[in-house]
Amino acid sequence: MKSFPSFGFQRRKHELQEEIDAHLQMAIADRVARGETAETARQAAAREFGNIPLVQDVTRQMWGPGWLEQLGRDVRYALRQLRKSSGFTITATAMLTVAICANSTVFSWIDGTMLRPIPGARDTGELVSLQRGERNFSPTPPFSYPDYRDLREQNHTLTGMLAYHHDWITLTGGAQPERVYIANVSANYFDVLGIKPMLGRFFVAEEETRPDAVPNVVLGYSLWKTRYAADPAIVGKSIELARHPVTVIGVAPEGFVGAMPGIRQDLWITLDPLGTDVWRMTHRSGGAVWLNVIGRLRPGVSRGHAALDLDTLMHHIVAAYPDDHLGDNRITLDPMWRSPFGANGYMAATLPILLAFAAVVLLLTCANVATLTLVRFVSRRRELAIRQSLGANRMQLVRQMVLEGAILSTGAGVVALVLTSWTSKTFAWFFPANAIPTVLNGTMDYKVVLGIAASSLLACLLCSAFPAWRSSHAPANEVLKAESASVSGGSRNRRLLSGLVVAQIALSLPLLLCSGLFLRTLRNLACANPGFEQDHILTASVGTNNAGYSGAEEKVIRHKILDRVSALPGVKVVSFTDWIPMTLSHKGEDAYPQGYVPHPHEALQVYHAEVGPRYFESLHIPIWEGREFTRDDDEESPRVLIVDQTAAKRYWPGQDPLGKKLRVWGSPFTVVGVAKNSTHMFMNESPEPMVYMSFFQVGYETIVQVETEGNPADLAPAVENAIHEIDTRLPVFDVRPMRESTQMASIFAVLQSALAGMFALIGLVLAVTGIYGVVAYRTQMRTHEIGIRMALGASRANVLRLVLVQGLWLTGIGLALGLAFALGLTRFIARLLYGIGANDPVTVVSVVILLGAMSLAACYLPAHRAMRRNPVNAIREL
Amino acid sequence: MPTSMNEKDQYKNRIELLQGTLDMLILQTLQWGPQHGYGIVQALRLRSGDVLQVETGSLYPALHRLERQGWVQSEWKQSESKQRARYYRITTKGKKQLASDLGRWERIVEAIGSVMYVKPEESES
Repeated sequence: MKSFPSFGFQRRKHELQEEIDAHLQMAIADRVARGETAETARQAAAREFGNIPLVQDVTRQMWGPGWLEQLGRDVRYALRQLRKSSGFTITATAMLTVAICANSTVFSWIDGTMLRPIPGARDTGELVSLQRGERNFSPTPPFSYPDYRDLREQNHTLTGMLAYHHDWITLTGGAQPERVYIANVSANYFDVLGIKPMLGRFFVAEEETRPDAVPNVVLGYSLWKTRYAADPAIVGKSIELARHPVTVIGVAPEGFVGAMPGIRQDLWITLDPLGTDVWRMTHRSGGAVWLNVIGRLRPGVSRGHAALDLDTLMHHIVAAYPDDHLGDNRITLDPMWRSPFGANGYMAATLPILLAFAAVVLLLTCANVATLTLVRFVSRRRELAIRQSLGANRMQLVRQMVLEGAILSTGAGVVALVLTSWTSKTFAWFFPANAIPTVLNGTMDYKVVLGIAASSLLACLLCSAFPAWRSSHAPANEVLKAESASVSGGSRNRRLLSGLVVAQIALSLPLLLCSGLFLRTLRNLACANPGFEQDHILTASVGTNNAGYSGAEEKVIRHKILDRVSALPGVKVVSFTDWIPMTLSHKGEDAYPQGYVPHPHEALQVYHAEVGPRYFESLHIPIWEGREFTRDDDEESPRVLIVDQTAAKRYWPGQDPLGKKLRVWGSPFTVVGVAKNSTHMFMNESPEPMVYMSFFQVGYETIVQVETEGNPADLAPAVENAIHEIDTRLPVFDVRPMRESTQMASIFAVLQSALAGMFALIGLVLAVTGIYGVVAYRTQMRTHEIGIRMALGASRANVLRLVLVQGLWLTGIGLALGLAFALGLTRFIARLLYGIGANDPVTVVSVVILLGAMSLAACYLPAHRAMRRNPVNAIREL
Repeated sequence: MPTSMNEKDQYKNRIELLQGTLDMLILQTLQWGPQHGYGIVQALRLRSGDVLQVETGSLYPALHRLERQGWVQSEWKQSESKQRARYYRITTKGKKQLASDLGRWERIVEAIGSVMYVKPEESES
């Protein structure tokens, strides 16, 4: 009572005192009424009542112990039991910790990416991302400004609709130029997201299209902190952006990094700040399709309803401007957690599957711990029976046993919580240095804590409540009376143990199969030929266009780079490009091939890249017809392009594509060559038409591409120096071998196989130790019987067979169930695989053999031990 | 001394309550209406012609146990003599319990009766 004071105990004690006082008063009153004096009445009543403290004491016992006190007693008892079998306690806690941590880690990644798509934004569940036309994995911005304005002003289902476009730009004016990622945004950008400025203000409506001599900008928190030393008086100050003066009007709050999930934006500016982009602001097709759009649903409006509304509007727009909207224009809406723009499209394809794997690991672990728990309860059946016959009811026994499991799983949950606070941050490890400003990591918030609590609860229920309920069924008198009848813990428990072992094997097989498929996918990716040379190529980006150099200056610089870098020793070929394949980025444009009639709803979008002379030579991409670009394909000469096989086949089947015209950005381009297909985004992509344009005609970003004789990384400093010799202020960045850049295309395969492999290993260990444990335990229980069998003439081989057959049955049933389960599941990962079928027979067979062989080896150990026993000793043992 | 003789006689005539019958007696008393502890003692004594004397050391634990089992409910009320006391009232569950206790009691009485009044020749057959 001292350590766990019950609520209301003092009050009840007081009431009892009062009740007894009333009893005495009434007794005295009666006696006085019968004529006794007050004093004798008082004495007689007290005598008649008896020992007051004793009455109080026995009465209080009837109240039963307070629930807290009882809980305290149960916890102390459970802790004593757990301490007595510390081996079990440590093993079970460790296993549960690993399993819970696996779940909470993957969940923290989901939480940090998919569930927090726009950190700092209000109610992201209401936000929807708009996509026009064909749905694909990494779409290009889908809307033009006039289309966006029409949709924004005429819809009835959104409270707001923002638009943005982002790109790199160079901050000049300071001691050191700095490349930052900026977004051109609609004036309502921050409003729709529900972000309040930390300093100053955000944009107002009339600023959206108004060009200013000195445009206004909003700084991101980290840029303000690092480049401007958290200057509290920054608002109103002038800074320089690509050599243009701009005025800072506000600073965004800490944590907010922009509207595209997983991508960091450092600075925000209006859509046409200088008034130089009038064409882009007024046209509806080609290069004027440049905006990503996010809407906020009106309260009570469903996503489907809003999609219908916007789709109808888009139909009107298409009808009014048919020439600007060829191909597919249907509008689809996605919630931000799986928005195809930004990182979440990839996350949504990968992380939920990994979480499902982790959940299987948790189930598997629970089955394993439940086995151990059941064995423990069976070995404690005498204790349980005695307590039952001493008056403990079944509920009390179950509560006691469940409490032990609850302590274990709570302990495991707490350790997992501590571990997850670290493992959640390991997500960033999977992303190598690349040209995209990604901010991807796990977070540890209340949702993760709730997730851990839920996993712990599930673990507690599965690995203690269930066995406890089963164990408490045992009739006490039988357990106490006939020890021999329950030598193996009764047939019911034996069946349950077998079931748990079968479950463990059946659950680990899909894990192994999936991880096998992922590992082979990874190997296939590493060995695959993307259709271009990766090994002796170095690329370096030069920030000419977005650092404020004029077109004329840029042209001179580019030619100088070509000359200087070509002269470096160890350089074979130098070329230019403005795109690197397999880096999760691509550029798309509407293209109208001459004489081609598109199918209804066919998207006329093509991938495009602007490449310089000798580009195909340096990447070893064969030109099958026609020629490569030359230095003479410049602004003065007619526009030319090279198509790949896919484009040639689609637009001019059975014809010679050379000399054919393709209209892009409103101007005709003549086909001068056909290049062999090569990989654009992923090894397992379906080929999309690709057109290459001449870098000296329409090149935008400047990426120097160098084919080297030796290791490309060795040449990086020399190339960087050569460029800086031209102009020391030229920003040079992302200097790295092609191999490193193209790793981006397989990061998700690496992530999947790393985690699936880890989970499968855990699964294998659990399944094998599980079957070992059960077979060993049952063999030990049958020691007496085996002794008798041997004494009656059974040979050692017979004994070996006896034990092995038992294990073989369990393994066989587990494998059969697991195989059915696994083959049903692999189709969910089919689209993540490369170069291997989802039911690849070699992988299936090898996984089954691996698991079967490991299980049999686990059974052989106890069988071997049983075989070597001296029968005389065995009989004596009980 | 007449008084002390009287008390002694009374005491001799009282019998120990059989195990488990106290609950039944309390519940039966409460059938007649809500009553406090002292009232229950008085009622039992009166109805049994001074034979049944319930010890307070048994009564109060029993009342509190019955309340915990949900067979009786209690509330504080004023008695006719303006004394604040805790009144116990039988619940529906308690009534059911009383019926089953009574049934069992009758079977015990019958069984004991048939043992005590058995005729020798009947037992041989």
